[in-house]
Amino acid sequence: MFDWIVTHFGFLKHVPLLPHVFDAWLKLVSLFTNKNLSDYIDDIEAEVLSWQHTDVSAHKYGGVQFNAFNRELGHIHGNGLLDILFSQTQKLVLMNRYPIQHHHVFKHSGWVSFKIKTVSDKKLAIELLRAAYIQNNS
Amino acid sequence: MSSYTRNAYTRILLGILVANLVAIILVGASKYLVTYLEGNHAGNSSGVFIFSSFIVVPLLMGAISAWYWHPLQLKTLAYIGWSAVSTLVASAASFIFLKEGAICLIIVSPLILCFTLTGALLARTVYRRKNNTLNSSLAGLALLVLLADTFSSHENVRLVSDTLIVNAPIETVWPHVVEYKPITLEETYWLFQVGMPSPVQSTVDGYEAGAGRKCIFSNGYVFDEKMIVYKPNEELTFDILSQPHDPEIMGHIDILRGQFILKDNGNGTTTVIGNSWYKLYVFPGWYFNLWSESITRNVHLRVMEHIKILSEKNV
Repeated sequence: MFDWIVTHFGFLKHVPLLPHVFDAWLKLVSLFTNKNLSDYIDDIEAEVLSWQHTDVSAHKYGGVQFNAFNRELGHIHGNGLLDILFSQTQKLVLMNRYPIQHHHVFKHSGWVSFKIKTVSDKKLAIELLRAAYIQNNS
Repeated sequence: MSSYTRNAYTRILLGILVANLVAIILVGASKYLVTYLEGNHAGNSSGVFIFSSFIVVPLLMGAISAWYWHPLQLKTLAYIGWSAVSTLVASAASFIFLKEGAICLIIVSPLILCFTLTGALLARTVYRRKNNTLNSSLAGLALLVLLADTFSSHENVRLVSDTLIVNAPIETVWPHVVEYKPITLEETYWLFQVGMPSPVQSTVDGYEAGAGRKCIFSNGYVFDEKMIVYKPNEELTFDILSQPHDPEIMGHIDILRGQFILKDNGNGTTTVIGNSWYKLYVFPGWYFNLWSESITRNVHLRVMEHIKILSEKNV
């Protein structure tokens, strides 16, 4: 559903506020499909905020954006889709090690996508964000 | 949620109450100001609901609630739950103070919940950054949009058209188009099942252009109509002279004109085309048109299916 909307109506992401409304709708829908998801996202947010020089903001295309050292680490959409930016080299290393995929839109960039569904996914999401944090700190 | 302290409950309730109070003032003021500005163009509506009433105001409601809630560090799930409570309070307030009907509130609630939640979650993030200049700029921007929307033109006339093939010759179909016996078909459309009035019967005063026609609905409401085109076996067009003032959807929509066009298919069957023109007084049009089209379409289909059954019985 998310992929279909992004593919066919992705151009609407430039309409002010619309991505945020869509993200709120995703959160509402997720309540019925995976009621623990919003708690997982809250836990990830709390963990990232416990690291030095981090903060969160609203992602321009909807979702929670994690920042460190005034740069974006990644963001989570309301349906639990985590997007993280790595260098191309690190992306390939991580894709061999973890069940992560090319970014759902920018497949040839350093971005990766990972769908959070379970507690173990939450732990992996934190691990990946930590890797991006260390990359940005080095 | 049971682990909240008394102070936390106070903040949560204040967030809901203040947000709703501001919403009632803004919606009430904009509704009557727009109706006043639109003058005669406001038609028979009890007031125009601009898109800001259902978008900007809920966004502000969410932002106001989040202002009270953010020091409590609530989870997202709590934001969703309390935003739903705030939407329920807004619906109850609309029912009591704005005299809205229950079905109208069922239609509008998903829109309000989605935008209230968007406002609350966005504001939560903004408040965390403790940027008061940004906070006041966003609030100012929202109020500016509300004002600009209030003083903009609000005109939304739409046509809904439906077609049905009747397995009967045109001269058999025509009399049932002009007037028809009470509809006994079971209600299949969910809004009719939950209490929205559905069409039951149509009667006429005469068989010529200029004659009166009445469309009677299930709750006894009557639409008074005047036939302006009466071409047997071809076209019946009627203007709606008066419609009931029901607090439900009827208060926010004017049905302007109805039309039936009949076409002989040359094989003993007839194509019946039903057209209705209406004017909406609730915005955003893209959302409410989805509902009004669906309702109008189901009114058409209920009548046209009835015409089909009556006509085919006589073949």
